[in-house]
Amino acid sequence: MTVSQISVFANSRPGHMNRVLDLFEGAGVSVRGFSAADTGEYGILRFIVDKPYEALEALQEAGCACVISPVLCLKLVDKPGELSRVMGVLAKCGINVVYSYSMISTYIVLSTNDPERAHELLAEEPVELISQDDIARIVAERVAKEA
Amino acid sequence: MADAMETIDVTVKGAALAAAAEGRFDALPIYKPEIECAPREEIRALQLEKLQKTVAYAYERVPYYREKLDEIGVSSSDIKTLEDVRKLPFTDKAVLRETFPFGLFAVPMDEIRELHSSSGTTGKPVVVGYTDADMDMWSECIARLVQMAGVVPGDMAQMAFGYGMFTGGFGLHYGLQRLGCAMIPAGSGNTERHIQMIDDYGTTVLIATPSYAMHICEVGEAMGYDWEKSPLRVGLFGGEPCPPGLKAEIERRMHIVCTDNYGLTEVMGPGVSGECLAERFQQHIAEDHFLWEVVDPETGEPVGEGEMGELVLTPLCKQGIPVLRYRTHDLTRVTTEPCACGRTLARMDKVRSRSDDMLIIRGTNVFPSQIEDVLSGIDEVTPHYHIIVETRGGMDALIVETELRPEAFRDSFEAMDGLRARIAEKLKGTLLVAPEVRLVEPGGIERAIGKAKHVDDRRKK
Repeated sequence: MTVSQISVFANSRPGHMNRVLDLFEGAGVSVRGFSAADTGEYGILRFIVDKPYEALEALQEAGCACVISPVLCLKLVDKPGELSRVMGVLAKCGINVVYSYSMISTYIVLSTNDPERAHELLAEEPVELISQDDIARIVAERVAKEA
Repeated sequence: MADAMETIDVTVKGAALAAAAEGRFDALPIYKPEIECAPREEIRALQLEKLQKTVAYAYERVPYYREKLDEIGVSSSDIKTLEDVRKLPFTDKAVLRETFPFGLFAVPMDEIRELHSSSGTTGKPVVVGYTDADMDMWSECIARLVQMAGVVPGDMAQMAFGYGMFTGGFGLHYGLQRLGCAMIPAGSGNTERHIQMIDDYGTTVLIATPSYAMHICEVGEAMGYDWEKSPLRVGLFGGEPCPPGLKAEIERRMHIVCTDNYGLTEVMGPGVSGECLAERFQQHIAEDHFLWEVVDPETGEPVGEGEMGELVLTPLCKQGIPVLRYRTHDLTRVTTEPCACGRTLARMDKVRSRSDDMLIIRGTNVFPSQIEDVLSGIDEVTPHYHIIVETRGGMDALIVETELRPEAFRDSFEAMDGLRARIAEKLKGTLLVAPEVRLVEPGGIERAIGKAKHVDDRRKK
């Protein structure tokens, strides 16, 4: 069970993130979590969204350099030591977490050098793995409630 | 020569390129074979006769030249061979600026039909005037080179240059009309309308800067326009140098045959030389109208046959402004070997660099064209680039910005920095100066509609 992350190449200049967000808005895509890392010259923007393929299409149509890739999305219990426990599982087995960022509250995203194995390991642990459908459902429920 | 049965119909999309690829150049029409394919001795004899007249004309009509020629004691009777052109003084752009606006004009204004001026990127613009005879000669030079590029009478030609004072717009306009084409004077800008007009009117020829043609291509693709099915067949480029990589990419994506031509406002405008389909890196010089020399840019002395140097041009029998030995600052070399296309007119290498756009970085000579060549050999980036030169801690720093292709993006700083390092390494190998490479997102480098500005030199002078 992985989640589809959208990564976008962007120059580190004002407005470049906004351009991407505007494209998402135009495509009716809701951002559930993101990370922006840069080297000073250029950066990689990473997004977890409710509709990753719609997001990808909107970006590609606009000519953006972007890719979609599988990452793990974990829901941690909000108590001390929990993040350390989860990371420890992967560390013990020699799986490197390349980068990680948190989504809404305790939802975090992990990109690893071995997503399948990392998933297998974490699936055996008391931690909730989030599916792409879960993300879409949460958004859909909220929309329904507001309507 | 081919008989009538073998003549191809070049109006069929791709037919001209296909014939050229098969080496069937005799199937391609030539506008004025009695000049373009004349024996070299005939061309040289004609050049000598016209050079003598040009010198006499300049002496009689232009005080600046009379003074100069009197100073060195040279008159038209001293021009006995073509080599005697070396006795004449050079003319530099500064002369045209100092005599601004009409100091070099050789006729009263009532004989001038049109004025044009150069873009004036540095200092005052240069203004030139054309008589009826000049307009006639200019149109013919262009008619020849557009025919060389695969255009035929009856073609519909859409102008995507701006008109205005720039010579490119009107020059191509008149020349295409001379050949027998219908002009669509759309002008520059409004890219979507250009594409709509190509589709609505059945445009077969597009005149644009290569960078704007690429932009039209990209916008068309984004609109879902099918270039393969488009009536467009020929691209005529100008206004800025066309990197071979960019030309090949436009040919592939737009399914058209693209050529470019050479010229400069100071001697006429476009039409000095044009590319045939046999030698895609060279251009035939209209030698009956222009006497060429190639000189060492430092000493002004002629270089050996076929060697690189600065192109010097003397327009022959131009009436409005008779310029003698104009220093173009463009670096090229010229061959007089016969061409596979059948033309005997000398060919100059396409101008890739100018003696004055050479950058000196940490004591090493660097030409933007070298950077262009390296980048066009790297699949992960587009042919668009931008060069910045700065002073950092008293040292020159060369920064090359290059545009990432969408499909080359990897979600990894290691991969992207690896690409940057690889590009920097390749550039260093050619330039002998280590540059800093910056990756720019797709479309992030400005597509210039006029002359593409490739260099930003921020060093304190």
